Amino acid sequence: MKPFCGTDSLKPDVISLRQALFLATGAGITICGILLMVAILRVDGFSVLEWVLLGLFVPLFGQIAFGFTIALWGFLILLAGGDRYQVMRTLPEPPAAGPVGATAIVLPVFNEDPDRTFRGLESMFRSVEATGAGGAFDFFVLSDSNDPDRWVEEETEWLRLCVKCQGFGRIFYRKRRVSLHGKSGNVADFCRRWGKRYQYLLVLDADSVMSGETILRLARVMDANPRAGIVQTSPQIVRGKSVLQRFVQFATRLVGPLFAAGSNFWHLGGGNYWGHNAIIRLKPFIEQCVLPEIPGHTAAARHILSHDTVEAALMHQAGYQVWFAYQEEGSYEEGPPNLTESLKRDRRWCQGNLQHFWFLFAPGTPFTNRIHIFFGLMAYLTAPLLVFFIGLSSWDSHVKQRFAVYVAEPWVPVSGVWTSGVLLALTLTLLFLPKLLGFLHLLPRTKEFGGVTRALLSTVLETLLSVLLAPVLLFFYTKFVVLTLLGLRVTWKTQNRDESSIPFGEALRTFGAPTLCGLAAGAAALVWSPTLLPWLSPVLAGLVLAIPTAMITSSEAVGGWLRKLGLLLIPEEASVPPVLRDLDCPAGEDAMAVSGVMQVAISPEVNALHSSLLRRSRARARHKADHLAGLRKRLIEEGPQGLARRELSALLWDAEAVELLHRDIWLSAEQDLHPWWRHALRHYNENTIRLDRRDFQGL
Amino acid sequence: MDHHMEELAWNAACLRLEDYLRAHAVEPRERLLALTLSILAEAKSAHDKLPGLTPLECTMRIASKKTDTWFSLLAGDPARAARARIAYFAGGRNDLFLEWPLPEDFVASIRSAGIEAGPALEFQSLIRRELDYGAMQDIARETWDRFSWGHVLSAFALWLAIFFAAWGIYLKFFQ
Repeated sequence: MKPFCGTDSLKPDVISLRQALFLATGAGITICGILLMVAILRVDGFSVLEWVLLGLFVPLFGQIAFGFTIALWGFLILLAGGDRYQVMRTLPEPPAAGPVGATAIVLPVFNEDPDRTFRGLESMFRSVEATGAGGAFDFFVLSDSNDPDRWVEEETEWLRLCVKCQGFGRIFYRKRRVSLHGKSGNVADFCRRWGKRYQYLLVLDADSVMSGETILRLARVMDANPRAGIVQTSPQIVRGKSVLQRFVQFATRLVGPLFAAGSNFWHLGGGNYWGHNAIIRLKPFIEQCVLPEIPGHTAAARHILSHDTVEAALMHQAGYQVWFAYQEEGSYEEGPPNLTESLKRDRRWCQGNLQHFWFLFAPGTPFTNRIHIFFGLMAYLTAPLLVFFIGLSSWDSHVKQRFAVYVAEPWVPVSGVWTSGVLLALTLTLLFLPKLLGFLHLLPRTKEFGGVTRALLSTVLETLLSVLLAPVLLFFYTKFVVLTLLGLRVTWKTQNRDESSIPFGEALRTFGAPTLCGLAAGAAALVWSPTLLPWLSPVLAGLVLAIPTAMITSSEAVGGWLRKLGLLLIPEEASVPPVLRDLDCPAGEDAMAVSGVMQVAISPEVNALHSSLLRRSRARARHKADHLAGLRKRLIEEGPQGLARRELSALLWDAEAVELLHRDIWLSAEQDLHPWWRHALRHYNENTIRLDRRDFQGL
Repeated sequence: MDHHMEELAWNAACLRLEDYLRAHAVEPRERLLALTLSILAEAKSAHDKLPGLTPLECTMRIASKKTDTWFSLLAGDPARAARARIAYFAGGRNDLFLEWPLPEDFVASIRSAGIEAGPALEFQSLIRRELDYGAMQDIARETWDRFSWGHVLSAFALWLAIFFAAWGIYLKFFQ
């Protein structure tokens, strides 16, 4: 294979040819499906209902067809030994030495587990240092946490890490006072403060981990390709414990490489940005990618929620390329632990993707980005369309007794039945062939997946789980789309918990509605059109079984059992990459975790750390000082539970108040302290995780 | 205060002081006891002059003041006392707590410890561009500009009236 001599050498003909091939394949399959559907519907003439059905069928089938097309081209590319036009192939082999552009590695956090976040950061820091080019990389934890406990814990972990790794001056921590515009606002705030100092920005998520070698290669590829604006890696989902996490991590290994290679095939330098595990050229990002407002009648409605796709479009529009380094290893993230958490994330994405509608028609949006935006929209819009289609087609089948004739006299050739069979076979092929192709692709490496038999069983299990989960996702996506279009919020009757398992009560509250829908639809079919029931059963089974599915997929015990059986294994479990080791809290240590507020009030060390990180106001208004004194008094007398989160935050934002709190707690008589503080003082020295002093010797 | 009550009060003061010193990483028992006894003795003599304070308040005021003063001296600048406190904990020399004078290398290491949460700021403006969203934006804007719930409700009322009128006519003349 010829080397790829840099992204500037990419000819427009190549891009046009690939896009024509991709669109022709997808459109060709879609047209086949449409012709088959027309042949079925026209048997006894088109009614209005059937015209509507055809209208719904086109986008639904089109989405399946284009999804399959991406996987098919990806498979063909991988079969041919990989794509010549990959951005990482512009790097020389062996890798060049020498300095690389100054890079800021930013980790925006929002109430995430500080222990896990900083363990990941430590792994990356050590891995970057081991490359010998560590001096070019600075790490920033950009906190938007509004939980006072988390905030203090983050600071403590930051100090621990800096001391342990000699990271002062290289690892930084910034807490934003006003968390404006979420993650995009957090990154924008970084750019405003320190963007001038760096050439590149590597954006991570709190659960992201990247190896030092990969980080260095990404910086080098940016150096080598001045027109590369963003290089997005394909983060591998790892460390799956629950069934859902294991299912997702295996699925991304099974079909992920096909879809990734297929995506790069058609968009080349017009790729998408996923918001994390990607490197960005800072100057054009700051100049061109400040998020615009979208049309809307309120300030909140005008704010873009899902920033990444828009930033990729703006970068591409400004003349820079957005590449997908899909074969670059050493980029990892973790998946949501259970279905509820996964749906919460989907709900945010749904809202964000629907907002992208405005960019679909905006003049100047590059063609490939319009396609990304369209696919993103359709990922959620197809859910209500499919529900509508299933309902209408069931009604149409009932009226026309389509299946009754076939069931009563299957030997009698009925017009349209053969065509229906072909269409069904085509649809199933488009849905499931990518999984077979994915299995064929991983055949040479089945040892890493537990052997041929286990890899095959895992593929079957993954397929069964995806069939079972699809109707539940269909139900919730429909709900999200409808509520978003009506401008309503989706509320969750659940709490954020660290453990993954969903108890029965919570499962019943969250997944009771799809279960009832499934039962009602099944009963209706049984009463009015029993012959239809077998055809609806895959969808109805998923809905009816939503509660046990949610509970089982959230179970770490079942996930562990599957792992013991060697099912849903991934290569990173057989051989753990160095950067992923030591991410778990050692057994027993987590039991000693203490409240951040308690630490800041009692520990002289944490108190000093927290107050020294705050900006001191030169003069304070009298009423503010009185207000804070009142809060301090209440905190001492009523314990942390006596104050609202915003009151605690207000207190913790004032350096003087924090120091006085520490003094007051230690100086107060027993009877003046809330029992919570009495207990805390008595047991502080025994229970607190003290910063490991053995690690501090080097400061 | 009777003797028993006083004993209890000084006992509480002693326990709090021990906890306070241990919170400052004074872990060896011998050192802990020595410091505790020295501060308690100071507190007892001060308490005679300040009978309004409880033994605990008196002891902890002295301990707190001693600690603040020591960290200010260690930092060389009271404004940097908090940073000196962090550096002291990180340095692992708890045997030197509240000692004075201190070894020069220890003082130098505390004063030179770099605890910076961020590099020097280099502010720049991020300027949001106005983006043209094309015809869809115009349609949406016109819709919002013209939209009013009054219009919706009046249209709804009109159609409701037409429906009931038609229904009434049907019931009266055609049934």
